[in-house]
Amino acid sequence: MPVSLRYVVLRLLQIVPTFLLIMVVVFVLVHLLPGDPTSTMIGDRATDADVTRINAQLGLDRPIIVQFGIFVEQFFQGELGDSIVNRTSVLGLIAHRLPATLFLTAFAALLALFMAVPLAFVAALRHNSGVDGTIRTAFQVGLSTPVFYLGILLLTLFAAHLRWFPVGGYGETFGDKLYHLFLPALTLALSLSAVLMRNLRNSIVEVLEAEYVDFARAKGLRARVVLGKHVLRNAVIPTVTLLGLNIGTLIGGAVITETVFAVPGAGRLMIDSIYGRDYPVIQGLTLAFAIVVSLVFLVTDLVQAALDPRVGT
Amino acid sequence: MKKLIGALFSIALALAVTLPAAAATQGGKLVFARYADSLLLDPVYNDANVDIWVLTNLYDTLFLPTDDGKDVQPGLATAWQAADDGLTYTITLRQGVKFADGTPLTADDVKWSLDRAANPKNGIWNFLLASVDTVAVTAPDTITIKLKQPDPVLIKALATFNTAILPQKAYEASPGATDEEKAKAFAEHPLGTGPFKFVSWERNVSMKLTRNENYWRKDAEGKQLPYLDAIEFVTIPDDATRILKLQAGEVDGSEFIPYARVAELKADPNLDMQLWPSTKVNFLTLNVRPTLKDGSKNPMADARVRQAMNYAIDKDALIKLVTFDVAKPMISFMSSSTPYVSGNGPAFPYDQAKAKALLADAGYADGLDITSLALAGSADDTAILSTVQQMWSQVGIRLKIEQVDNATRTARYRGGDFQMRVSLWTDDIADPNEIVSYFADFKNIESMHTGWQDKKVSDLFDASLKEMDAGKRAAQYKEIQDIYMAAPPIIPLYESPYPVAFRKAVKGFVQIPLGNNIFVGASVEK
Repeated sequence: MPVSLRYVVLRLLQIVPTFLLIMVVVFVLVHLLPGDPTSTMIGDRATDADVTRINAQLGLDRPIIVQFGIFVEQFFQGELGDSIVNRTSVLGLIAHRLPATLFLTAFAALLALFMAVPLAFVAALRHNSGVDGTIRTAFQVGLSTPVFYLGILLLTLFAAHLRWFPVGGYGETFGDKLYHLFLPALTLALSLSAVLMRNLRNSIVEVLEAEYVDFARAKGLRARVVLGKHVLRNAVIPTVTLLGLNIGTLIGGAVITETVFAVPGAGRLMIDSIYGRDYPVIQGLTLAFAIVVSLVFLVTDLVQAALDPRVGT
Repeated sequence: MKKLIGALFSIALALAVTLPAAAATQGGKLVFARYADSLLLDPVYNDANVDIWVLTNLYDTLFLPTDDGKDVQPGLATAWQAADDGLTYTITLRQGVKFADGTPLTADDVKWSLDRAANPKNGIWNFLLASVDTVAVTAPDTITIKLKQPDPVLIKALATFNTAILPQKAYEASPGATDEEKAKAFAEHPLGTGPFKFVSWERNVSMKLTRNENYWRKDAEGKQLPYLDAIEFVTIPDDATRILKLQAGEVDGSEFIPYARVAELKADPNLDMQLWPSTKVNFLTLNVRPTLKDGSKNPMADARVRQAMNYAIDKDALIKLVTFDVAKPMISFMSSSTPYVSGNGPAFPYDQAKAKALLADAGYADGLDITSLALAGSADDTAILSTVQQMWSQVGIRLKIEQVDNATRTARYRGGDFQMRVSLWTDDIADPNEIVSYFADFKNIESMHTGWQDKKVSDLFDASLKEMDAGKRAAQYKEIQDIYMAAPPIIPLYESPYPVAFRKAVKGFVQIPLGNNIFVGASVEK
């Protein structure tokens, strides 16, 4: 068993201080932003008396340290307070909106892998050939096109003109969701797959030149076995790490993609909350994203440990 | 005389309920794409147009605004009478009205709803009922409102969203310790006497309404209203996506079409691009305090500088560039849809020579520097300010543009820490009292935080709040507008319509100048 229990427990424990740090940083940061939720929410017409009265009702007139205390206390009671702008519970909002973002992110990551792995192999096996160059150039274009622009291009072509896909939204059933989220997931996946493809191609090229591959070939193993067992397994390790690290970026990209494709996810909620200075929602969402990213990192480490016995003991 | 007005009014009301006798198809569902979702569907505690503009589909008021937004028609009240001293109003309620759940509407519901709306502790709209002393139920079909002072706008206030009538029992049965908590809980599944009944709401995604089977209103042919069986509001913040969905037929209507796309949608044979006259005015707010927050002298404290800034903008060119000729120049600081608006043609017609002369007169022959806040990411702000920057450079005004986000802008604006910003306004009541209290009467919010004050204007305004003679009120508001526009603490740019596009099959939608989206007469034709 390559991954010891001790390793898993240690990795889990490392998440705790990270988490406490995030709570402090996000609380301080949102309160450092100029502007306040009350006057942003009630708009330019509110009188000073209105602002004072509503601040008192929301508890925003208390010293910041007291507010932080309440935030932490609530957190340990499994509560995140109420949204100032939406006027409903933050936990409810997140529970409602996060699944769409997770679905979109996972879908995009899978699409990216499906595109990157086969093409990386093709490119690596014929490296420095015309095929390699074409694949790399195509992905370079994908990488350098801004997500929002790519999204609008795909929308215009596949949704508005060809009508193969809906213009936006989020379906009800699983199949319906795949159908609705295909274009946004593809938008997100294109830039990630470019990163993965380049990385995987280079590792494969490197591994192909390693002595143990020559040895495996010399042993007379069939090409498929050499590629699958010796080349892919070793070459994929840095790519797994890269994919894990990029999940955070993917969630960041989902923020924009969700807006363009009208996907009711947590990313769009985050943007709205930052503009509205909706402190409880920003804090809650940051923590939720932090949990997701921490778990992905954990899984990445575990997968890496499973693939590479030198890690994870 | 007052009694006569009341009596005439009730005859007019009996005849009216003004919906065109078009042969509208009954049934069907309409999907309407909005740029942002509602936040709080409570008439008293809401504070945003995303709520105000859809509330009338769920709740009724005693009177309803007419389609031109300037007057009122009967709603839950059928007649009213004012006593000769103008201090007592007797209002007759429509009989047989039921809430969407079938509970009968009572005079107690009306009294309770008005008391809640007038309570100065509740929300930010109670000023609309500031004159109300008491509301009493004097007969099962009659309520009597006693005023602290005569109020020429009372009836219009009773046609404004915040005086909507809610079911007292259902509201009070909502969970919550305070009135505001109950309001939040109740507004999660609102119940009113309006044309549509609330079904479900997934925040920032969709809100579903169905026809209120108990609705009291019929059209001119005697057909039961509303025509539609159901409405779904979907939230699509991205302009391009909202239009694409309409073009793809996934939604039946989309609001807030960017002006840049209006001509294109007008030319689309499948779409009906509508531009509704509005009370929306776009302007630049100037800080006129003698010194700025950093202690430096503020050139805009001099009225001549502000006049010059006005004259140096070619509004027609600006309207073409920014709104693609959809908007029109303003004649006053209030929209031409606001009652008692006055002015002689477009305000501050473009005149570079005059601007230069005024600046020289004020001691700025060598020019001056102004910094404006701009909302980061706002195409309108960028377009307006870069156009103005170019026009002003011709007369020596050097404009610097500082990009900030909305919350920062609001904080700096409220704190008086700004020189200039781009602003817009829409009226909520069919009377100039609201816009004047915010724009010109210092004691409310320092004249839109410009710091401008004028005792004569404030006195005229206070008098107008009690003046029952329409002619005298018109004169008061004319004088207020004359004084204000001579020393303009703002730069009026243009007034712009509400751009809404529908599929051709959709008929009968109305957006009144106050902004309310009215679906009671909407239908989807085959």
